[in-house]
Amino acid sequence: MTTAQQRQQQQRDWFQQLLTRSDVSPDSNMAWLYRLRDDAKRAIKTLPTLGSKQEAWRYNRVNDIFDINFDSSSDFDNDIIEPDINDYLLPAFDSYRLVFINGHCATKLSDIKQLPEGVTLGSVKAGLRSMPEKMIHWFDRNHQHNEYMFTALNNALFNDGVYLHLDRSVHLDRPVEVIYLNNNHSQSAQYAGSMIQTRTIISLDVGASATLVERFINGSGTGNNETYFYNNVSEISLADDAELNHCRVQDESRQAYHLSSLYVTQKKHSAYHSSNLAFGGAWARTEYKVDFRAEAAICDLNGLYAVDNQQLIDFHLDVQHRAESCRSREHFKGILYGKGRAVFDGRILVDKQAQFSDAALINDNLLLVADAEIDTKPQLEIYADNVKCSHGTTVGKLDQQQMFYLRSRGIAENEARKILCQGYAAEIIDDIALPELQKHVAEKLMHALNKNDPGAGGHDGY
Amino acid sequence: MLTIKDLIVKVENKQILNGLNLNVRPGEVHAIMGPNGSGKSTLSHVLAGREGYEVIEGRVLLNGENLLELTPEQRAHKGVFLAMQYPVELPGVNNMIFMRESINAIRRARNEDALDAIEFLQQVREKAKLLQLDEKLLKRNVNVGFSGGEKKRNEILQMAMLEPQLAILDETDSGLDIDALRIIAQGVNSLRDPERAIILVTHYQRLLEYIQPDFVHVLVNGRIVRSGDKALALELEQKGYNWIIEEDAA
Repeated sequence: MTTAQQRQQQQRDWFQQLLTRSDVSPDSNMAWLYRLRDDAKRAIKTLPTLGSKQEAWRYNRVNDIFDINFDSSSDFDNDIIEPDINDYLLPAFDSYRLVFINGHCATKLSDIKQLPEGVTLGSVKAGLRSMPEKMIHWFDRNHQHNEYMFTALNNALFNDGVYLHLDRSVHLDRPVEVIYLNNNHSQSAQYAGSMIQTRTIISLDVGASATLVERFINGSGTGNNETYFYNNVSEISLADDAELNHCRVQDESRQAYHLSSLYVTQKKHSAYHSSNLAFGGAWARTEYKVDFRAEAAICDLNGLYAVDNQQLIDFHLDVQHRAESCRSREHFKGILYGKGRAVFDGRILVDKQAQFSDAALINDNLLLVADAEIDTKPQLEIYADNVKCSHGTTVGKLDQQQMFYLRSRGIAENEARKILCQGYAAEIIDDIALPELQKHVAEKLMHALNKNDPGAGGHDGY
Repeated sequence: MLTIKDLIVKVENKQILNGLNLNVRPGEVHAIMGPNGSGKSTLSHVLAGREGYEVIEGRVLLNGENLLELTPEQRAHKGVFLAMQYPVELPGVNNMIFMRESINAIRRARNEDALDAIEFLQQVREKAKLLQLDEKLLKRNVNVGFSGGEKKRNEILQMAMLEPQLAILDETDSGLDIDALRIIAQGVNSLRDPERAIILVTHYQRLLEYIQPDFVHVLVNGRIVRSGDKALALELEQKGYNWIIEEDAA
């Protein structure tokens, strides 16, 4: 066998081993779910393997993940490792809260009492038990995305997750907050880390609106060297005039692998607004597929990523204008403060029938050290002739004139650098829908910049 | 207070200052005038510690201490302030927070307590009023979307807040209309103090009608070729720079 063939085989074995080791129940009493899992398992066997030859994986060391043996069993006792949830809560943040420990809902740490009428919120696992008929509806059965290896893996093995459904014209009064505490819970020494998978299903009926906050946290509490692979699939469907504010803060362990695949479908006049903040992970990737299915829908994707030594943070956006008069905005900013790498791949497709589309994509990158790397790739594919589309990317260092200005006012070099980075990030942070979260994210950024002060040595600072 | 002795400075391998000498005592206002390219801005930047200027020879002492060895922030801590010709925009950085960071950084370096938030607010409002600077601009990002005049007034506001020992105003009058000039001059005059020295770097005599200098120096080809009092500025206004350049060449 050639090396390439060996790699492919290794990858197939890797997926197979996860399927075999998993103890997800066969769900034989729910035919549709059984079929879903079965289809997914078959897809995994036949799909082409992933590698740098594929455009979507060209800049990502996907093979790193196949070198690690992950334990896909859920062989642990949730109660034993129950943490003090207060360690993870945001001060004075009033929310409907769900907490997941290694992908399993921790009911005792959650608080979803007094939900308004017309709101269904809970854990997928419990929902499958208590209201399987409804769950069938909410699972978007026509689009299982088994064409994508990691989503198929989630289809085959997801065990729990979040569902949120709002009836017609319901406005949720408080944000829904989902806290995912992840660590390596494998009991077996033969595995280097554990595999955690959750599913998120959001459906807002006509005219409904909600705010959803998801926080992905290294839950070991002890250090930043927990190895695990967290694989999330989110399906978000917005009916006519529905509106979702979605904020995702990713701060996984620095030895962890994080993959989020979000599938957003939007109907007429719906609005999806998201802020994506990425701080953690050895390898953290977020993929968005936004599908405008009817006219005049709006989608804003914003993001900020802070990249340290040995980190790879990766955003892939694919916004598809398939109906008239939709508007999409993508604005992502990166700060690379260590010897790490960021990948930004933003695609906007404007189909022939999607006249009067309005699309704009911006990706800015700030390199604080000489040996960081950014691969940025905006792609506009336009087949309609009456549209307004633009894109722009920038990669730069800190402005020396700005640095001098601050320093001439008595502000030390390292402080000046931090102030400029905060100012640079403010555009994204100020856009977060919730002030408590703005503060949280600003503090996280400050913490990252404090810890990795190029002026304090260790890096080759500009 | 400030002693500049035989200062020779290169920028990108071109010699800009060619043996400059200057003595400034506390309480004095010195105007440095000169044609374009004579080295006025280079002098301002070298004093404030901007990178990209190579000192070949000479000394700059502030109260007996070698200024050239200090970083820009250390110079600010020692009381040096440069009002810039082109104030820089700082997107995402709030003007008020910027000024407070600046004041407190300087106070920290001097082992003084940080300025109380209420006291700071009072001071900044009072001083902004004197400069007729709209309070809204205090809440905006530093210089972002400010007009030319607002940027210059914001510089003088910072100067008023930081109360420097040595203030260098680099072409603060450029691009200002007569009303803005008057307001800025008023602000600068209010900061005249027996303990404070001010260096006004300018191309035109106009500013000096409003801020009366004690000394006027003419900078040509990187050297001070003539010094005098206010009368010299008037002479330059009438006769231009050419006669001095010619005399210097001869």
